[in-house]
Amino acid sequence: MPTYSPGRRRVIAALALTSLLLVTLDLSGNRVFDGIRSGASVITRPVRTAADVATQPVVRLWRSFRDYDRILEENRALRAQVDAQRSAEIAAQNAIIENQDLLALEGLESLASYDSVTARLIGQSPSNFDQQVEIDRGAIHGIRVGMSALNEAGLVGKVTRVLPQSSVIMLATDPSFAVPVKVLGTVATAPTATAPTSSDPGPPSTGTDPTSTSVEGTTTETTTVTTTVTTTVTATSLPTIVRETGVLRGQGIDDLPRVSFVSGGTGFGRIEVGDTVFTAGGSTSLAPPNIPVGRVINIITRTGTAGQELEVELTADLARLQFVRVVLYQPPTEAG
Amino acid sequence: MIGALLNGWVPRVTLVAVVLLGLQTTVAAELRPLGVVVQVMLAFAAVCGAVSGPVQGAMAGFAVGLVYDLGVGTPLGSTALTMTVAGYAAGWGRQFRIEPRWWILSGLVALGVALGEGAVPLVRTLIGESDVLTTRILVVVPTVTLTAVVIAPILLPVGRWALRVRVSELRLPGEEVR
Repeated sequence: MPTYSPGRRRVIAALALTSLLLVTLDLSGNRVFDGIRSGASVITRPVRTAADVATQPVVRLWRSFRDYDRILEENRALRAQVDAQRSAEIAAQNAIIENQDLLALEGLESLASYDSVTARLIGQSPSNFDQQVEIDRGAIHGIRVGMSALNEAGLVGKVTRVLPQSSVIMLATDPSFAVPVKVLGTVATAPTATAPTSSDPGPPSTGTDPTSTSVEGTTTETTTVTTTVTTTVTATSLPTIVRETGVLRGQGIDDLPRVSFVSGGTGFGRIEVGDTVFTAGGSTSLAPPNIPVGRVINIITRTGTAGQELEVELTADLARLQFVRVVLYQPPTEAG
Repeated sequence: MIGALLNGWVPRVTLVAVVLLGLQTTVAAELRPLGVVVQVMLAFAAVCGAVSGPVQGAMAGFAVGLVYDLGVGTPLGSTALTMTVAGYAAGWGRQFRIEPRWWILSGLVALGVALGEGAVPLVRTLIGESDVLTTRILVVVPTVTLTAVVIAPILLPVGRWALRVRVSELRLPGEEVR
């Protein structure tokens, strides 16, 4: 027969109450606990490092077993993709340089204006309910809570805990993650062509002298021909940029992050699948503007006044992070 | 009382917990069957209950949970609470006069781990985290439980050593270990 004594009940109740008390004190921001936690981190670091070194062969063996076929297939696909994107990359680099020149000319800040710290991942979340990673750079490298972490592809997450020599990053898929974003869509203007206009020939000339200028969605092309001057103004399908702002929130490891719109957005219907999502920045956002976040892959229509939500596929592959860059940016309201 | 604890099982359990924390944050975080992180420390908390009984299991689970909270950065006390549940639940079965064979103890560990892991989203929700309680738990809890059953035979001797439980004591269910 099971035995159950009042003493046992008291012990269990004491442990439960102690746990709840600790949680309450910790969540209310207790400096003593922060100190204890930092001390514990320093004490356990050698054990964790030793465990990391000792278990590396097992981990590598497991990764080889688990990932070999997928990596082989992915490698083939990536080679094909790299070939296809080489020319696009050159054009994109040129555009980036021009963009930075223009921003510098106008005195506007860009992502390249901020200092950053590159860090290596040293641990993943050991919990099934958090999406976090640990990096090997901390407070002594200038990292502060709230700073954004990204990799070459885009936004990864934000710093949620900083120790002297390491930090914890909450990934963008974590249900607690939220960041203001803007969705940049494009609306192609319907092509309209004016009839060619003829004028007096004027002085004859030889050859052609085409000039081309581009002004927000329209291209004006002037062609001078030997006998007549023909001007054709054509509105091509160059895009008009549509911008909507909202908040991106993580939805857990199995679901894509979603963007919900703060303003309800009258122009919201213009957002389409494939539109790009960037951080919005702003005086209160902890993330600087224009960090690539991802692409819209689904638009969810909700009933009533709830409006619509966008499912966003992140450009950064959070499952295979090795290095991240922490942008040492603090919004004006935080930096003081 | 504190002196008795320090001369008793607390240092050993803490030592084992710190070592397991190293494994938990490295190899266990990497090996993800079905995308689920194997919970070595939770299994150890349940093992402590299975070899010693509900009260000491709960206390050992609390200690292991505190080490986890300090090492991982989860709100201090949250994992301690869930591991207290695991240790108590695993030890609860030891009150019955059953032959404590290794597979029965593994079953008790499974019970403790299932309740302990199942309690995690409840505690997280209780402390204000949103969207933690999802259908994913239907995959997480069985997987964590199954992997705990697999590693329980390895952890049982470790748990006995940490709690200073002799095999002869293990064979006398209902007795509290000092």
